[in-house]
This record gives sequence, structure tokens and C-alpha cells, in this order.
Amino acid sequence: MELKAKTNKNTIVTERSRMKILMTSIWKNRAFYLMLLPGLVWYFIYKYLPMYGVIIAFKEYNFSDGILGSPWADPWYKYFQQFFESPYFSQLLTNTFLISFYKLIFGMVPSIVLAILLNECRVAWFKKWVQTLSYMPHFLSWVIIYGICIAFLSQGTGLVNRWFVEAGGSSIPFLTSSEWFRSVLVGTEVWQNLGWGAIIYLAAMAGIDTALYEAARVDGASRFRMIWHITLPGIRNVIILLFILRLGHMLDAGFEQIYIMYNVQVYPVADIIDTWVFRTGLEQMNFSLASAVGLFKSLIGLVLVFGANHIAKKWGEGIW
Amino acid sequence: MRKRFIGSIISLILMVSLFLVACSSKEETTGSSTSDSSGNGEASENIELEIISGGNNLPAPEDDVIKQELEKAIGAEVNLSVVSSEYDNQLNVRLAAGDFPDLFAVNRQQILDFSKKGLLLDLTPHMEKIQSVVDFIGEDNVTKAKVDDKVFAVTVPPQIPYNTYWIRKDWLDNLGIQAPTTVDELLAVASAFTQDDPDGNGKNDTYGITGGVLNAFQPIFGAYGVGMPGSFYLKDGELVNSFYDPAMKDALSTIKKFIESGVVDPEVVTNTALQHQQKAFQGQYGIIYIDWPNITKEVFVEQIKTVNPDAEWIQLRAPEGPAGYFDGTHDIGTAPRYYAIPKELEDDPAKLEKVFELLNYVSSDKGSKLVQYGVEGEHFNLEDGKVVPTDLLAEEGAYFWLYQFTGRPEMEYLKTKFAAQEEYIEYAAEQPRIEALNGFVDIPEGYNPADATRYYEEEIIKFIYGERPLSEYEDFVATLESTFNYQAMLDAAEQQLTDKGLVK
Amino acid sequence: MGGRNLVRGIEDRIFDYIIYFFLALVGLSAIFPLLFVLSASLTPFGEVLKNGGYILIPKTLTFDAYKELLSQARIPKAFGVTVFITVVGTFINLILTTLMAYPLSRKKLPGRNFLLFIVVFTLLFNGGIVPTYLIVKGTGLINTIWAMIVPNAIWSFNVLIMKSFFENLPEDLFEAARIDGAKEFRILWQIVLPLSLPVMMTIGLFYMVGHWNEFFQAIMYVTDRTLQPLQVVVRDILLQNSDQLSANVDNMVPTVTMQMAAVIIASVPIILVYPFIQKHFTKGMLLGSIKG
Repeated sequence: MELKAKTNKNTIVTERSRMKILMTSIWKNRAFYLMLLPGLVWYFIYKYLPMYGVIIAFKEYNFSDGILGSPWADPWYKYFQQFFESPYFSQLLTNTFLISFYKLIFGMVPSIVLAILLNECRVAWFKKWVQTLSYMPHFLSWVIIYGICIAFLSQGTGLVNRWFVEAGGSSIPFLTSSEWFRSVLVGTEVWQNLGWGAIIYLAAMAGIDTALYEAARVDGASRFRMIWHITLPGIRNVIILLFILRLGHMLDAGFEQIYIMYNVQVYPVADIIDTWVFRTGLEQMNFSLASAVGLFKSLIGLVLVFGANHIAKKWGEGIW
Repeated sequence: MRKRFIGSIISLILMVSLFLVACSSKEETTGSSTSDSSGNGEASENIELEIISGGNNLPAPEDDVIKQELEKAIGAEVNLSVVSSEYDNQLNVRLAAGDFPDLFAVNRQQILDFSKKGLLLDLTPHMEKIQSVVDFIGEDNVTKAKVDDKVFAVTVPPQIPYNTYWIRKDWLDNLGIQAPTTVDELLAVASAFTQDDPDGNGKNDTYGITGGVLNAFQPIFGAYGVGMPGSFYLKDGELVNSFYDPAMKDALSTIKKFIESGVVDPEVVTNTALQHQQKAFQGQYGIIYIDWPNITKEVFVEQIKTVNPDAEWIQLRAPEGPAGYFDGTHDIGTAPRYYAIPKELEDDPAKLEKVFELLNYVSSDKGSKLVQYGVEGEHFNLEDGKVVPTDLLAEEGAYFWLYQFTGRPEMEYLKTKFAAQEEYIEYAAEQPRIEALNGFVDIPEGYNPADATRYYEEEIIKFIYGERPLSEYEDFVATLESTFNYQAMLDAAEQQLTDKGLVK
Repeated sequence: MGGRNLVRGIEDRIFDYIIYFFLALVGLSAIFPLLFVLSASLTPFGEVLKNGGYILIPKTLTFDAYKELLSQARIPKAFGVTVFITVVGTFINLILTTLMAYPLSRKKLPGRNFLLFIVVFTLLFNGGIVPTYLIVKGTGLINTIWAMIVPNAIWSFNVLIMKSFFENLPEDLFEAARIDGAKEFRILWQIVLPLSLPVMMTIGLFYMVGHWNEFFQAIMYVTDRTLQPLQVVVRDILLQNSDQLSANVDNMVPTVTMQMAAVIIASVPIILVYPFIQKHFTKGMLLGSIKG
């Protein structure tokens, strides 16, 4: 009896003090909240207020009734159903995931390697030139890159194929064959973003304490070991952060590029969710369908981000 | 020190750009106020019409002679704005936000959609007010904009067909052969182009036929009397869909033969834009299916001649096959675009009248000449009632078409503006073609045409490339009907075309 | 002792050569297509075709495309608009992004996880163009130059990157400053910012390039011709995205030469920004501050 009463009193005291601690903490950190205020207001107005638009996915959107006034779709999952029941659904999903995955791995690794190479380069003018050249492709539009692609990879007249044929081999249908097309997609995107992607890793490397390198040199470490044990761990959190963020966009596999470069013969390996939505929407002006698919992609992305963050936390990293 | 330097550079750039921006907006206001005073002597209120459509290269208002002349003619401001891409998105958000323009471009699907949502003005009770328009575009075209017997938009009459096969005359001459007239001869000539080194350079670098994906084969389908995949047309008075045409398998089989003999562009499916034109100009192909503007306009002739001054392209009649000869399929039910008026303009009768006035004016003799050819005396002269363009027209006239809200008399217009290409225009226009009725058929609810289209495009390609045996053709059709619900499309076409009296 | 140094010396040099080799490869693979674009902009297209469709060193030079493009009055105007958006926009971006990223990098901030979630959520979920348009309209930005700056003022992606960098700064610095009685704003201004130059420059670059290439928002929110930025004007001239309108027969045909020239004009200014920024990416900036 007595014990219980004592415990109750303790609990009340604990709760009150917890509140007090929280309030003091908030007051102590008021400068930070002040800093956050303008940004949060912006987020509220321009990101969160428009979010009610996601319900378009569940409605028969009618301009004159507005988003809120439009009638609900019947059944509410009608547009999701249209998406899931497409005969191409599983193919779209597979293509989207695979292409995204390849782009993720083959995109991040070369950029990191390039950043390391640039970081280790001791000739300043060479480093500057190569870096500037390497990120220029980022500014070329896909229309132009596709044109360059054709000049190189066309089966009949592309440079690469002409060399093959001259060397006695046979020409490869890079742009029309299911075997090669994904590689072309991934390869051109890697090429386009190699230098641009390296920029952020270089910025991170600039923040690594040089004392670490000094110490390692004194200990007799080779350059390679220094990279492995100092440089890479130094940019680890950026790598993990970018990886998680890109996972969130796994279902965006690069609409603009694919739309410009694909053709009927490679649909089975290159048609992704976004190109499907585009073609379907072209004929039918369908807001609700686009919204439903968008919602689907967002949900999957959310799950992936949470999952990846959870795993990252085990290594001491993670967004939150 | 460096920071301060960068800082001052930035502030300098900022000031310069602020200056530029401020200057330009001032120009704009002075510009519009001048047109205000000039266009408007008597009327106390100035009515402003806002029009939007897709398009590009609209000049600034002070250089836009059509705008100025139109404003004089109807006594109101005419503010057209065009976007080179994302027009549909822009239109959608403006309609959703209730920010209606006074006249806007739409396509058939949008007419259906928007009219059902009550966004478009029903023009049926106003038809007498726009009689000039009706006379100008013709009753048939007015009907194209009808939904349930109500007219919801103004139709821009369709263009005449432009496409035919073109062939390298100099290659024919070099090889001493005649232009082909039958399908078999076409194959023979294409083979000669591929194997017999027609450009005489000693290299095996020439091929036969190219075109824009399946369009490369339009006349071959035509030789069998078959419409392009997915088209509806009348055969012996009956409605037929090309997949069910008994001659389709034969047509596919012949195309397959062409591809197997290696005379066709191996990457024909990648020609989604103008890649085939470039390949032909480079001298790789001797036969191309293309429209006359893209091969006879001066800028292209120049490119052709630079690569090879001896190159000569002539039009080639469609090859004759078991069904005679037809230069591909031409949809007679479509229109390049329509212009609609928002329903809420009902509440502003003065403005509505002005819109009608504008539409009537561009359909009248004087107004139509304005939006086709420009200002008389500057861009063209009238000699014996015939329009003779001046050099100024070619220089400045590229944007006039953006104001052709009710279209133009195609043949006459093209022959006048592109006098140098007159024979090509006529030739292309007079070719017999299979008349497709797809433009008259609205997509039924709940049917997703994109999936069916992808399926049949893929399978047709597989059939002609030999990746799927033609013996499986019936299976293909069965899958199309069931899994892809093409049956819904067939039913809709049957019903709608019968309702419209196009089919008995 | 001496022997060990010698071996290390050779090892180092081999390493260097390997680095130079691969970097040269990267440089070359980037330069060829760029040369192609540059040459194509200076050669009449017929010549390019004659040469098999691509050309590296032009034989006949023509500046016609550049003359044609630059003579259009709207290009300098559009340039001015784009420069304004880029400079002012990036300025605002950096301020807002830093003000968000710094507090979020303080691990002990109450509610931090919730606030981070708010930021991350917007990376994944989006209301759609219609609701966003309505809000932009509701805040009075339609047809103003601010419509191309404000709706895009903060990129969650950049906030997270900046936060990550701030988290890497050594705690001792902050402790030292707080013990000295410095307020948080002062810490941000006098300690954090000077140490964060690399990330500021990088994020600044990202925002700048984003503004420079601004197209979609301009088309959706602005119909006033005098406010059109560079990309909109360039695409208008070239009709590069003729999605709907099968080019009407009257349309002036933009030659490939012109298209390439437009690419050069539109991208060269921004490409040249980075080399200036690069100077700030020097190692050892942190070193001095700790010791100090």
C-alpha cells in the first residue's frame, strides 16, 4: 500500500520534471527555432498546403468542382487498379527498379573514384582542367546526347560499329537490341553525371583534417592505404546520405532520357513507369491516374528511405 | 580580399540585370499604351482578348503586324501567347484555377473532356453569329467539333496529305534502271541500291529504304489495300479494322521479305524524329517516305547539295500491288486543332461578341488574307485577284499561322506561299490513299489505348522482323482483343461511326 | 631508412602516373562530344552531314548561327532575367537553406527528428502541379519574376547535404564559443560559415545551375514575355520540344547548327562559374581554426 502511494508520487514528480526539462530545453534552444522559422513557414505554404492534391488520386477530378468538390472515384482505388491491372505492370516495375539500381551503383562508384583521383592529383592545372571538362556533359540536353549516341552507336554507320566491322567483327545493334539498350541508358547517364557527381565528394574531402594525413604519412602508410583509411571514411556520411536519398527515388528511373532514347523494339527493357504514365496520359488527359501512380511511387520511396535509414543507423549514420 | 572582389562582381551583375529587367518592362508598358491609343478612337472601354495555344516564335507585340492589324479591324486588344512545350499542362492549371483565357486551342480529346465538365461554351445557339466561320470551314468540319450534337469548338480544317516515297533519280540513272512501279520492282530497285554501289564510290555503304518507323512501309500496306495497323476504314462499303483485313497478313509477309533482303534501314524503329531525313541526305538511302517540306524546302535542298551536288530526289508513285496502289493511310476525321471558348464568357457578352467578331474576321476575305499572307502591299500584292508574295513574306511570315484560328484554304495557300514546291504539293495531294476514320471515333471510357497501341506496335515489328512467325497472327489478334480489351475499341468504332452515318 | 624512403618514392610516383592516366581518360571522354557540339555550331549542317554526321574540327567556319541567335532582341533581355533569378535566387536559397540546415544538425535539438521528417517527406511526396499553381497564385506570384524564385526557394536535398556537413564540424569549437558566452547566431555567422565554404560553394553551385536552367516553372507561372528566362526563349526559338504541334509547315526550320549554337550560348556562362568556385576547395581550412 505504502509502496504504491510512494510510487505514484514519484511518477507525478517525474512527469512534471520531464515537462519542465522539455520546456527549459526548448527555451534554451530558442535561437535555433528562430532560425528554422522562415524555412518552416516556406515549407508550410509551398510544400504542405498543396499536399491536399494527393487526394486527386482517389477522385474523379473535375476542374469546375475543384479538387475538394470533385466526386470520389468509384471504387476509390479505381486509378490504382488501372495501373496495377495493366498487362505491362510487372514489366514496368522490373524495368524501373533495375534501371534505377544500375544507375545508382554505376553512378555513385565512378563519381567517388573520380573524386578520389582528382583529390590525389598533385598537378593543379591538370586537376582543374579535367574537373571542368568532366562536369560539362551535365549541361547537355538528352536530345543532344542522343544525337551523339547515334553518331557513335548506330548499327549501320556509328563510329564504334565501323571499327568493329573493320576489325572483322559484326556490328552491334546497341540502340535496338534488348541486350544492349539498358547498358546504353546507364552508360550515357553515368557519362553525363560523372564529373557533376564528383563535385560533392570533393567538397566533403576538403573538410577532412589534414593532420590525419600527416600522421599517416609519418607512420609510413602508402597513398592507397591513406585513401582507404582516411579519405573514404571521411566522406562516408555523405556517401550514405546520397545513397539513402537516391533510394527514395528508385521509381524515377530518368523519364526524360528514356523517352528520348527509347523505341518500340526496346520497350520490353526500357519502358518504365513514367513513360507508361506519359503515353497513357497523352491519349486521355488523366490527372487522377498520374496522381495515383505518383502516390504509389512516393509510398514505395518512403518505405525504402525508412528502411535504408534504419540500416544506416546501425553504422552510426543515417538522416535521423 | 577575394571575397570583396566576388562580392562587387555579384553586385555589379545584379545591378546590370536589374537595369535590363526594369528597362524591358518599361518598354512593354509604353508599347501597349501606344497600341491602346491607336486602336481605339471611339470605344470608351478597351476590351482585351486573351488567347493561348501551343506554338513558337511569336514576335514581340511591337513587331507583330498581324496583331496590330487585327486590333485595328475589330477594335479590341488581341493578346495571343504561345508556349513551345507544356501547353497542355499550362491550359490545365489555368482552367483548374479558374483563370480562363478568352479563346484557347484544344484537341478532340480535350473537347470531350472539358465539355463534359461544363467548361466550354456551347456554340450551337450562337451559330448564326459565326456564319462566316461556318461558311469558311464547311459543315463537315463543324461537325468534327460536336459532342452529342452540340458544337463546342471551332475546327481548324485539316491539312492535305504531304507524304510520299521519294527516290534518288541520280542513283537510278547511274545504275541504268527505271523507277519502280510495282511492289516487286520496288524490291528489285531497293536491292540494286543496296548491292550495286549506285553512288559509284566503290564502297558498300548504301541501302534501300528508310522512313519514320512503320511509316517507311505505308505504300506497301497500301499496295494490299490495307490501312496502317490500328486504322478503321471502309472496304467494299463495310467497316473494317486493319488487323482484321484479310490482306493484312499478306502485306506483313511482303514487308518481312523486304527486311530479310537487307534493303531496309536496320534501325528504322529509332527514326522517331527526323533521323531518316538525315540518313537520306547523307547519302545512305535511296528511297525514303517523307513529307515534301522536309525534303524540298530551300534550307534542306542546300544541305542535300552540300553533301553531293549531283543528288536529285524525285517523288515516287506508290508501288502497285494486288489491290492497286495507295499511298498509305490518311485520317479524314481529324483536325490539326480546335479553338474553344470558355463557358464563363457567357457572363461577359461584350467580350463574347468581340471573340465572335475576331473569328468572323479571320474567316472573311480580307481577314483571311491577312492571317495567311500578311499586309497587302508589304508582304504580298494582288495581281488579277491572285496573291503574289513578296520577299518580306518569307522573311517575316513564319508566325502568321498562329493567328489562323479558322485555318486556311490549304491547297491555294501552300501553292502561293511555297510556289517553288508547287508540283510536289499537288502530286502528294492527289495520290489515292486509304481513308481512315479513326478521327471520328472517340476513345471509349475505361479503355486504355496506350497499352493496346504498345502491344500491337511491338508485335507488328516482331512479325516483320521474323521474330514471331506469321502463323501466330491469329493468336496476336486474340490477345489484342481480350488481354488488351481492343474489343471495346472495335465496338465503340462500330457504334459511333454508324451513329454518325459514316457506316451503314 | 633511406631505402624505405626510396621505395615509397617510387610507389608514390607510380600511383601518380596511374592517376594521371585515368584522369586523362576521363577528360578525353568528356571533350570529344563537347568538341562535336562546338564544331557543329560553327559549321553549316550540310558539311556536317557530308562528313558522316559528326565533325570534330570544322573546315568551314560560319558564325551565322551565333549572329542569328544573338541578334534577337529577346536574348539579352532573357539573359538579364536569368542572371537576376540566378543571383537573387541563389542568395535567398543559401540563406534559407543554411538557416534550416544548421539547427537540424544540432543532435540535441528537441523535436529534431520530427522536423527532419518534415523536410524528408517533401522529397518524396508532392501535391501536384494544380494545387501548387493555386498556392502560387494565392500568394500573388503569378506573372512576376518571383514566381521563378520563391516556389523553389528550398531544396530538401540541399538542406540534408548541408546538415551533414555541419554535423562533421568538431563539437569542441562550439563548446569553446559557448563557454565564452557567444550566442547561437553569432556562432553560426563567425564560426560555422567560414569553416563551411566548400559546402556553401557546392550547394550554391547546385542552386545556381538550377536557376540558370529554369524552364518548367517559368512556363507554368509566367506568361509575360518580358519575364521569360533564357531557357524558355531558347526553346521557343528552336522548338526543341515540339511535343504536340507537329511542326506546322510554315515554321522556320531551326537548323542543327543553330541548335548547337543555342546550347553553347545557354550553357557556357554557367559552366565557367565553377572554376572560380573551385579555389575554395582547399584542404586544411579546418586545421587552422582548431589550432587557433
